[in-house]
Parts: sequence; structure tokens; C-alpha cells
Amino acid sequence: MRFTTKSLILSGSMFAAALAFGPDAAVWAQDATFVMPSDDVGAPSYDPIRGTKLNAATSLIYDRMVIQDADQSFHGQLATEWESSDDGLAWTFKLRPGVTFHDGEPFNAATIVWWVPQFEGTENAFMTAAIESVEVVDDLTVKFVMKNPDPNLLSNMASIFMGIPSPKAYDAMGADYGVTAAVGSGPFTLQSFTIGQETVLASNEAYAWASDLSENQGPPHIKTLTLREISETSTAFLELRTGGVDMLLSVPTDFLPQLEAEKSITVGTLPGTGIFYIPINTTVAPFTDIKVREAAALAVNQKEILDNLFGGIGSEANNFLISSLLAADVDPKLNISYNPDRSNMLLEEAGWTMGADGVREKDGTKLQVALWTQNGTEFKRVTEVVQAQLKAVGIGADITVFDSATINDQYRKGNEHQLAVRSYSWANADIIDWFFAGSRLGYPNVSMWNDPKAEELNKIAMTGSRTWEERVANFKAYHEYVLGQFVFAPIYQPVQSYAYSTDNITLPKTIRGTRIQSQTIVDITVN
Amino acid sequence: MISFFIKRLLLLIPVFLAVSVVIFMIVHLVPGDPIDNLVQINSTPEQKAALAAKYGLDKPLYQQYAIWLGKALSGDLGDAIILRRPVVDLIALNLPHSLALGALALAFSTLVGIGAGALAAIYKDSFIDRTTMTVILLGSTVPGFWLGLLLIMLFAVQLGWFPVSGARSWDALVLPVLTVGLGGVALVARVTRVAMMETARKDFVMMLHAKGVPPWQIELRHVLRHALLPVVTILSLRIGWILGGAVTVEFVFARPGLGSLLITSLNQRDYPVVQGSLLMLAIAVMLGTLLGDVVQAAMDPRVRERIK
Repeated sequence: MRFTTKSLILSGSMFAAALAFGPDAAVWAQDATFVMPSDDVGAPSYDPIRGTKLNAATSLIYDRMVIQDADQSFHGQLATEWESSDDGLAWTFKLRPGVTFHDGEPFNAATIVWWVPQFEGTENAFMTAAIESVEVVDDLTVKFVMKNPDPNLLSNMASIFMGIPSPKAYDAMGADYGVTAAVGSGPFTLQSFTIGQETVLASNEAYAWASDLSENQGPPHIKTLTLREISETSTAFLELRTGGVDMLLSVPTDFLPQLEAEKSITVGTLPGTGIFYIPINTTVAPFTDIKVREAAALAVNQKEILDNLFGGIGSEANNFLISSLLAADVDPKLNISYNPDRSNMLLEEAGWTMGADGVREKDGTKLQVALWTQNGTEFKRVTEVVQAQLKAVGIGADITVFDSATINDQYRKGNEHQLAVRSYSWANADIIDWFFAGSRLGYPNVSMWNDPKAEELNKIAMTGSRTWEERVANFKAYHEYVLGQFVFAPIYQPVQSYAYSTDNITLPKTIRGTRIQSQTIVDITVN
Repeated sequence: MISFFIKRLLLLIPVFLAVSVVIFMIVHLVPGDPIDNLVQINSTPEQKAALAAKYGLDKPLYQQYAIWLGKALSGDLGDAIILRRPVVDLIALNLPHSLALGALALAFSTLVGIGAGALAAIYKDSFIDRTTMTVILLGSTVPGFWLGLLLIMLFAVQLGWFPVSGARSWDALVLPVLTVGLGGVALVARVTRVAMMETARKDFVMMLHAKGVPPWQIELRHVLRHALLPVVTILSLRIGWILGGAVTVEFVFARPGLGSLLITSLNQRDYPVVQGSLLMLAIAVMLGTLLGDVVQAAMDPRVRERIK
């Protein structure tokens, strides 16, 4: 928001006019400019069905059947009610009445019948893979007939890849859909989109179907919203400082002190959606020995990393899942926490005795391992601290830094890496399957973990659950087994940080949702 | 002159083919896989293999090269794997920004560099010479990334004269042009200065002095004109660099451009975009060199004589 003398005089005149003509006249065009998270930069389209990378504006253009709050609970958006049959083979969704797309087309059961099969053959096909067919019960009720029970269906439905486009616009535009135009039923309409630069959105004045996560049930208070893509955090910070933009939707932790020092900038946080961790290659000595794996995992001082590298912002990670997931609530005894005494004891038991140079040895072989990481300040800093922490228990580690596109190919070689510092961002327990399933050795299963019991538990967790509760219990069992095998060491659970100019905009008291998305943005007012 | 131009143009054909092989092989031999950036968590190894087949990445490299080159020769650089648009469209979107930034930065570094170099040469070994060259040297040694942030702090944050970033208005170009251009000023100034000092020692300059031609006229009309020949060579070589070499500046100022397109695509191993962008830059370098040769021939009768 930038105010010139002219605009202030104009605003003053309009305010006076508004007072004169009653409260309804006090509404005038209000613009805001936000900077998208740097991970969103370069998203090529707003096609949620065929897209593999979408950005923050997607949740503003499209509504989904359900959305999630920060505690991972599900709330209806285009669906008002839903239920699953006892055997998990049918899901019934009641649809919200009175919803229209930006092109005026109605949203109803026929939309869902058209929408679900569109995923076939796309990179997002797995989202609807368990759905056999969609049946129309009535104009506002649909039934999903399932090939197999999929208690994760709601979680998939809440993904931004499940934003529902207007069938008419989607079919008419073909391959250009999402690039030159995108038509949803969300609180904002797409005005313009320049890849890598900016997206301009206008308020959908017909919008009257916000979820119960938003206070504002009508059109957004912001009338024109520009979402800019700025990769360089310093530049985004200076834009916020000079009033060039009103809000940064994501801020790296190391920038928080600078932002907090600014009087007119407020910094807020949301629970994180990812974990920093160290996969341990279980197929390469010395980590074929579970005692050495456990010793390495217990040598990592999570609190020291949290306090010294991240200024206490975020939390320690003691298992593989973000703490808001129910399957993260494992038996406390299985959580992996810093314990140097036990770490030293285990290494002694495994026959590794302390050498004069502080590195342990066994049969003339030094306990010197390869510690890989990828480029990026946070990764390098965490890796250096981990190197020092391993050294404290007598494990020498040689750091190698790869660029993020190269490192996955290196993992695929299978036997060159031993330890690595990695992170993921995913708010679902099935991330354990992605990183530890025996069918994905090398990458993404960097731990090279292939264990019959783990595979059995994986299969039960992934396909053997009929209800959400069963799924949670099955993933918890799988998670606990993986924890007990010390195939990784958890490090840190970051939070999501955002910053905004208090002079220019006002945020709702409580930020709802797993990140700053439509449920919060419709409530934001321009000062 | 026309036959010289045609000869030089024909020479570019084998160079183009060689460059296309090198570009293709480098891009494909660097570790990394674009499919890693396409697959979603939860997708199966079979889906990954199907994606590789869909983009032709399962074919032998020589086949992939032949297909790519065949299409490229007809003006089709293929479709981006990650960005999912025709590469030609992506380049067309970014090239104007790179051209505007590159052309203005080249003009800035040429004018200021030649001016500063001439000033230093005319007043050689004086306070003006030393000050000019020291300032220019300092300016050229500051990394573009840092210089860009310094300029933003001064002109955008403190003085509020220009926007911090973006490409939405003409004034958003000023700071990026200064950042890229200042790096080239030192090179042009040093080449101009040395060339002018060398030319000043030539016999014909002595003769002009002996004939009583005013010194300023000798320096500007005769010495500078001769000294511009190596400057033209340097400038022609910088055309390609300036189109693709402004990557860090494009990042700092959040501007679109070929450089940032190339880096983003390289990080995602989006092969068709990387190949297309590199090919465009290689063509720019080749055409820049050709242009330099033609301008040199036009400026210097000795070059024309050698051609004959």
C-alpha cells in the first residue's frame, strides 16, 4: 500500500462522503499486495487437476470440498456434510447450495461427476485412485463408490490440488486452462497471471459460502489482491519495510529478528508442516549395526539446535511426524531424544573405543562417516552443528554439500551416503511410507530401509484401514516400529512464519488453517 | 563486405551444431532428474516410469538429441517439463525483459566506460586518472548481488526515488541497469584507456601534434576513434554475457529474464527449457561476435583490406 497526497485527499473525501450517506457507502476499493512463499515462485499454472506445482493464490481462486484447520481437523467448504459407510466402500457428500463459479455456472452434483474422472492419467491421479465411480443421489448429494476403503480421502480432498474448476471453462480452454484463465468458485477471481512475477486477483462479489473457519461469510474485504513472487528474501523484506507490499506469507527463521525490530511490522507464526531429520543408511557399515544407528541418533542435541540456530522458534523433533498429526503421539519411550551417555555406552558395546584424536575406532578402522547435505544456509548450518555433536560422542563426519537437484541422484547410488541432513514438508502420516517403503530404496528411501515387518506394517497402514481412526492407529504402529529401528534421527520442527504491516492491514485475531490461505485472507481488512 | 558477412555467417553453422551437442550433453549428463520434481508424494514407481516415457526421457540420449535438434531447427524448442508450456513461449516472455535490461546496461557501460577511459587516458598519471580508475575498479569489484542491495538501500529505501523491485514500471529498470552496467564500465574504461595511450604513441599522432592540430581534437577525433576498435570487440563479446549474465541482479530485483528462467529451470532439471535458453544465449554470443566483426570491418579500412 502506497499513499500519495492525492490518494489521501481522495480517501478523505470518500470517507466524508461515506459518513454523509450512511454505513453502506463506507465501502470503497481497497487494494493489498502480498508476497508469496519463496517455494511457490515459478508455479506455472492454476490448473489444480494437471498441475504439479501450485502457489498460494490457488486456494483463493478455487474452493475445495473440505479444508483443514491448523489442528488438522476437517471443515466443510463446498461440502456441508459427509459420511463414510462402515465398510469404507462408500462416501456420501452433501454439497453446499447456491454456489456458482466465477463464470456463472452452478456448482452441483453434476460438477463432481465431471470432476473426479478428470484426474485419470495425470500426475495427481493417486488422489482419486481409490474412487471407482461417482453417483448422483440428488442435485446436491453425491456418493463415491470406492474400489477399496480410503480413510485418507478427506485429507486428499483438502489438498489445493483438489480445488474444483468450472467444468465449462475447463473443457473449453483445454491445455491453456490455468495459464491464460482459471475459473473457480473461490473468494477471488483471476485477473492476470505472469509466471514468476505476479498474480492479480479481484474480489468475487458474489461470494457467500466461506467455511466456518472464516469470520467473514461474504466477499473478501480486500478488493484487489496482488500476489508477487520474490525469490530473494532481502528484497521481500525491503519491500515490506518501504510499504511496497503489505504482507510476506512466509519468512525464513533467520530473518525474524530483523522483522521484529521494525515498529510497524508484526510477525506471526503457524504450526509447521515439516521436519528436519537425518536418514541413516542402514545398508552401509557401521550403520548396519542398530547400536551404532541408535548412538548416532541419540548424539543429536535437538534443543541446542533449536535454541542456537533457530532462536527457540519452532520445536524439537523427537519422531518423524509433525506434532499436530495424531500418529505422532507415539509411546514416549520410543521418541528419540538427546542422550550422550547412552550414545557413548552403545558405541562402547558395539566395540568402538575412543581414539586419541576424539574419533572412535574398531579393529584399526576409524568411526569416520560421510554426512551429506544440500545447498542452502539452513541446511549447511544444521549440518555443521550435527557434525560437532557427532564428534562429541566420537563419530567423525565429513560433510559434502550437493545442490538440491543433484543430491537425489547421488542417493540412488545407494551405498555412497551414510548420513544426510534433509527436511520434508507434508502434513500426513503417509510420509513414513514415502521415505521408508522398501519399494523406494535410494530415493526417497534414503535410509535404504527394507525390513519385512516394516513392509507388513506399511501395507496395513496404507491399505488396510477402513476408518480414519483405524488409519491413525495403523500408522502409529508403523511409526513406532520405524522409530525403534533407528533408521533416522529427528532434529527440528520449524514453524511457518509470516509478517505484515500493521499500518496497512489488519489480520483476524486467530489465524485458521494449516497455512495462510483463503480461510484467513477473506478476513483480512485494509486499514 | 557482403561476401565477408556471408562467409562469417556460414562459419557459424558448424559452430552452432557443435554448441548444440555440448549444450545437450552437459544438460543431460549433470546428475538430477526432472521427474523428481514432477512426482507427488504417494505416487508409485510405475507412475514415475510412465512420466519418463511421456517426456521421452527413457529413450537413448542420441535419439533424444536428434529429436530435439530436428525440432529446434524448425523453430520448435519443445515443451517445458515442469513449466508445462512451449519453451519458445517462455523465452518470448522473458527475452524482452533481458533485452531491455541488457541493452540499457550495455549502453550505460559503453557511454560511461568510454567517457571515463578517455578522461583517464587524456589526463594519464594525474589525479583525475588515478581517481577515475580507482573508483571504477572499486565499483567493478563489488559483487552484483551486494551492489544491487546497496543501491536498493540508498535509492529505494532511504531516498524513495525508485521501486525496490519488480518490472511493473520504467523506473523499476533504473537500479538493475545501474547494477549490471557498473560491472561493465570498468572493463570498457580500462580497455579504452590502454588503447588510447597506445594509439597516442603512434607516428601519425606525433605528426598531428607536429602539424599543430589542437590536442583535444587529436585525442577525441583521431586517438579515440582508433582506440574504439578493441572496445567494439569487447562490447560484442559482452552481448551474450549481458543477456544471460544478469541472473543475480534479476533475483535481487525480482525481475523476469532469461537468466532467472535458466537458473530456475536448471535447479528443476527442466531439460527443454535449459537447452532452449542456453541455445538462445549461444546464438546471442555468436551473433554478437559476428556483429563485432562487421562493425570492425566497417570502422577499420585495414580490416576491409585484409578481407579482400
